[in-house]
Amino acid sequence: MVDFARVQKELQECNKDIDVSGISIKPKGDNLTHLAGTIPGPLATPYEGGTFNIDIILPDGYPFEPPRMQFATKVWEYQAGNNETLKGLLVTTLYIASISVYTPAMLCSVALLHMVLTRHPNISSQSGAICLDILKDQWSPALTLKTALLSVQALLSAPEPDDPQDAVVAQQYLRDYQTFAATARYWTETFARTSALGVEEKVQKLVEMGFPEALVRSTLESVGGDENMALEKLCSG
Amino acid sequence: MEDCTSSSEQDYYCSDQDSLDGIDNDESHVQWVPPKASSCKVITKESLLAAQREDLRRVMDLLSLREHHARTLLIHYRWDVEKLFAVLVEKGRDCLFAGAGVTLVENHDLPSSSTIMCNICIEDVPGADATKMDCGHDFCNNCWTEHFIVKINEGQSKRIRCMAHKCNAICDEAIVRNLVSKRHPDLAEKFDRFLLESYIEDNKMVKWCPSAPHCGNAIRVEDDEFCEVECSCGLQFCFSCLAEAHSPCSCLMWELWTKKCHDESETVNWITVHTKSCPKCHKPVEKNGGCNLVSCICGQAFCWLCGGATGRDHTWSRINGHSCGRYKEDREKKAERAKRDLYRYMHYHNRYKAHTDSFKLESNLKETIREKVSNLERNELRLKDFSWVTNGLYRLFRSRRVLSYSYPFAYYMFGDDLFMDEMTKEEREIKQHLFEDQQQQLEANVEKLSKYIEEPFDQFGENKVMEIRMVVINLSVITDNLCKKMYECIENDLLGSLQFGIHSIAPYQSKGIEKATELSVCWNPKVTNTEKCPTRDYHTNGITKESNRPSGSGSLDESGCSSRKRPRKESTIDLNLPAEVIDRN
Repeated sequence: MVDFARVQKELQECNKDIDVSGISIKPKGDNLTHLAGTIPGPLATPYEGGTFNIDIILPDGYPFEPPRMQFATKVWEYQAGNNETLKGLLVTTLYIASISVYTPAMLCSVALLHMVLTRHPNISSQSGAICLDILKDQWSPALTLKTALLSVQALLSAPEPDDPQDAVVAQQYLRDYQTFAATARYWTETFARTSALGVEEKVQKLVEMGFPEALVRSTLESVGGDENMALEKLCSG
Repeated sequence: MEDCTSSSEQDYYCSDQDSLDGIDNDESHVQWVPPKASSCKVITKESLLAAQREDLRRVMDLLSLREHHARTLLIHYRWDVEKLFAVLVEKGRDCLFAGAGVTLVENHDLPSSSTIMCNICIEDVPGADATKMDCGHDFCNNCWTEHFIVKINEGQSKRIRCMAHKCNAICDEAIVRNLVSKRHPDLAEKFDRFLLESYIEDNKMVKWCPSAPHCGNAIRVEDDEFCEVECSCGLQFCFSCLAEAHSPCSCLMWELWTKKCHDESETVNWITVHTKSCPKCHKPVEKNGGCNLVSCICGQAFCWLCGGATGRDHTWSRINGHSCGRYKEDREKKAERAKRDLYRYMHYHNRYKAHTDSFKLESNLKETIREKVSNLERNELRLKDFSWVTNGLYRLFRSRRVLSYSYPFAYYMFGDDLFMDEMTKEEREIKQHLFEDQQQQLEANVEKLSKYIEEPFDQFGENKVMEIRMVVINLSVITDNLCKKMYECIENDLLGSLQFGIHSIAPYQSKGIEKATELSVCWNPKVTNTEKCPTRDYHTNGITKESNRPSGSGSLDESGCSSRKRPRKESTIDLNLPAEVIDRN
């Protein structure tokens, strides 16, 4: 049984100094076993300026068993044939963004796209799984969700490509750091940079992707300015 | 073959004639010596604790530690006391302890009456409900208990670390046991069992007996893991690979051999080399001579060269209306090679099989021999001691066993599979001759011994019996020596000269496979019962009636044989039958 009293205290504690750490944890749904954490991308890294969402699931044995954490995946759902133009657009966008992780053919073949929008050698670009020792055998009950998230943040600034979760990304990191950094930065700016952009920039970006301006504006408005959600809606529209 | 035997036999007769009395004594010696302390020990459920205590005590005494610290150290060093002491000398006490997660902070302050804040559940708890580990970390008992339960269920109970982050200390097992038993008594038991069995699981020199159904015993050997032992449950096995005892084959050879014998690859090989499938009914067809036009029993005629269906009109050199390419040379070579490999395998396998079969037949001799001996005893001869019969039989079994396993050995030793790059062709030939020479001598003598033992000597007159006795005694000594020599040759000249020493064999033991003795636990009365076990064989064999003669002095026979020196147990009669025979009996 999860120790909810402790989780409650942890959440309070964490959200108290949210201004300092930038790390927040919120319950996802009614009970406290499924949480959503956010961490700011560390400065002087390709992730700077982005906000990264982490899915947290607490196992029954928490805090004696480690929490399960992974980078949130973005899900685009579209029906093949429903809107060919939009589908093509999405595929092109994702293809450019991922640079060779997915081929256009691969992208076209799926109706439901799960994409991890953080590019990092220790994070699986398929599932968002994080390769971090304290989330596995090095977990100690004395650690907290906040300290775990801080470790994830530290991982963003200091990747360990020799112990990779995603071999493709790790290889790119080791062989061609420039391209890796550029891609990671592009992903951060495209998908993780929500609050930092002004409305006009968001509109412009979505219009550049090929959506009609009026539609972009109304969609953005309807989702409260969240660029990603707007993109999602536009695509599935 | 016949020449070879008679000549070698003559040699032995000449050289051994004058020392006949000595041999006689030796032979009895094999049997009459009461079991000495063996280097192999059987560890039963009851004696496991005592076995562990021995090692714990040594470490506790030397380092003046408490038991749980000693155990933590030993688990970390896989129960290798020598290695532990070596690390102590080399790196010092602190390093030794830190590496294994032992912390000795003797600050046992009395539990403070004030409350403490548990960092795990983030609650204030009274000091009495909290526990401080040796490393100084203090958490509430509830959290400790939860932690222990999770870890034991994860199977990590041998090394439960402290809850504090990056604290490498291993928790005090007494505290674990105490706290867990309050909530889950069965889990505490499991924890205790894990700790106890760690002595077997984590220890290079101790292994579970591979018997199935499991007898519950483990075997501990002293200095050498390459040996063959017999558990008190009766199972004989190779300690190193846990398969049946297979010396002089190395473990790898034996593994390959059993695999080869089990799978049908050779049959398949044969079929591909010798047959072609009929283009109509697809049965494999073997060509039994004649030209290249073959016809299947289904009536279909086809070309042996390409396998294509043809008509029946043909000359010696061509088939009407059919032409196909010529033989492809590499294919022919491949077929040649497969054929050669197959014949080679069949050669060794047939001999291996023949000796194993002889074994099975000879094991029936036990009964008839017993009868013969009692007949002889009734005959009121001057000769009263019939131990030579039993000894001869025992020697026959032992040598037969060596002989049969020597064939798979030779198959791999002189084949292309294992040592292709280690010997030149010439070296290999020389070694093969050397080995086969010995093998043949042994074979001839074993057959002779078998023949004499099977003679109906209980029907013979006194003089004839004496004559047979002499021959059997002589042959026993000869075969023993030949086995000894063969092992020496294998260890020194064949395997010993290889670059990579991955092939080690259990040394030859003239007395048969060593029986592990019960670990003596003086304070456990149960053991005295089980300690009688080895003598049980006497009665079941029923042929060692005059078994209370005093033991003779040391002799050439006693030394057993090996280039390696190790303490050896003189055991009672021991019929080392192969596993399949034991199964049947």
